[in-house]
Amino acid sequence: MTAAARRLRVTDVSAGYVPGHPVLRGVNLTAEPGRITVILGPNGAGKSTLLKVIAGFLPPATGAIRLGDADISALPPHRHVEHGVGLLPQGRSAFPDLTVMENIELGGWSIRSDRARLRASVEAMLTRYPHLRPLRNRMAGSLSGGQQRAVEIARLLVSNPSVLLVDEPSVGLSPIVASQMYKELAALKAEGRTILLVDQDVRAAIRVADYVYVLNSGKNDIEGDRSAFEGDLGAIVRGWLGV
Amino acid sequence: MLQQIPTIVVDGILLGLIYAILGLGLSLVLGIMGIVNVAHSAFIMLGSFFAFELFRRMGVDPIVAFFLSFPVFFVLGALVYRLLVTRVERAPQTQGLVAMFGLMVLIENLGTIAWTTDTRVITAPYTNASLVVGNVTLVHVKLIAGLLALLLIAGFWALLRFTLVGKAIRAMGQNRVAATTIGVNVARLSAIMFGLGIACAGAAGVALAMIFPFSPNTQVQWLAWAFLVVILGGLGNVANTLVAGLVVGLIQTFCTAFMPFDYVYLVLYVLLAVILVVRREGLSHAVRRAI
Repeated sequence: MTAAARRLRVTDVSAGYVPGHPVLRGVNLTAEPGRITVILGPNGAGKSTLLKVIAGFLPPATGAIRLGDADISALPPHRHVEHGVGLLPQGRSAFPDLTVMENIELGGWSIRSDRARLRASVEAMLTRYPHLRPLRNRMAGSLSGGQQRAVEIARLLVSNPSVLLVDEPSVGLSPIVASQMYKELAALKAEGRTILLVDQDVRAAIRVADYVYVLNSGKNDIEGDRSAFEGDLGAIVRGWLGV
Repeated sequence: MLQQIPTIVVDGILLGLIYAILGLGLSLVLGIMGIVNVAHSAFIMLGSFFAFELFRRMGVDPIVAFFLSFPVFFVLGALVYRLLVTRVERAPQTQGLVAMFGLMVLIENLGTIAWTTDTRVITAPYTNASLVVGNVTLVHVKLIAGLLALLLIAGFWALLRFTLVGKAIRAMGQNRVAATTIGVNVARLSAIMFGLGIACAGAAGVALAMIFPFSPNTQVQWLAWAFLVVILGGLGNVANTLVAGLVVGLIQTFCTAFMPFDYVYLVLYVLLAVILVVRREGLSHAVRRAI
């Protein structure tokens, strides 16, 4: 059963790593439940920084992040899971020297006081990703890139988050495994989860997107439904490259 | 001489268990948190005096002091983490090293003010008793200290291997950001880990005080031994730290039996130099590995 999905709304958010030099300058977006909202933009546009702000790793200098009716702008990053927000970070994030089973179990850290629920959630993940079951006692670091990605997703889903923040999910994966990754995102969307996806693979991201925001130099540039982007994709990318 | 060998081996194993807990906290804090806690030995010294004062003032048995030291030094370690380590853990390595060195000097000097540089011993009712089993002479106090050390090592191993908190501590050592994304409060868990490291130092101090004479200055010698165990065993690994402690203990007892005591250090440090040249990661398979 999926947690009740809620709308994620980012309002006029500015943030940066050095005072006086904002990377994000008044960004606005809304991610709806049961939809994949994609953030695109050239390098340095602030896409990953925006995810860091939403996930609580970088506090916004101004603006607000609301999940349903709750303001989560000042929430420390480790408390986002309690509020149903899960982050799939860029690159490999499985704990390499822990077994697959230990990795998945740790995904239930926020529900650890309910041991029965934790056990049931871990078992549900092994049922959902049956190819992980025979690997459960293997160290995650010994698995292929695709298998590690599956471990990371299973770990992410143990706490049953209603909002998924996904940062560059296909980086470092073979085309076949990357394609499976996008299919998995579509399946998670079908479960009613709110998905916010940041991706450099523009074509693949637009194929799964319901709504697209383009950031440029830390500000909203253009936005629209997938259909609005499919035809003009080449022109948009050429615009980023300045050719 | 050959008849002595079983006793030498048992002595080496018991001593090795104590050396293992001497290095265990240092190894875990360094391997999991990346903090070079050179003040570790100062807490070992405080552990020895903790047992000494409890014994002298209230007649508390060192065995009881060993168990009491764990929660007391855990709280002390968590406090040191909150008040000092959090201020330097994100700074370049040298700043953290200087801060911990300063803490070591402070504790040693406070120890000298409180207890002078006189050498102390704890003479419990069983200190001079021994037991003969076949060819092996078991000195009670070494047997007790060794078993207490083994209990502590087994406890740490079980904590890190079987509990969710232990798995989260290991996860934090491998990827702090990923640990945070699953809901782990890494600041709190770091305080717990540092507290456990200092608790281990305190308990090691009690175990050492049961066997060896000590003064506030002996902590520098313990620091060298603790680092020796850590370098031999590699970082953040309970099993390898245990093996390293046993190696050091056995080398010490064999050298002491067959050559002048001064050669013990020569043999150990030549061994250390050889290991660093041949296998810089120590006895373990990696520079930074899990439990």
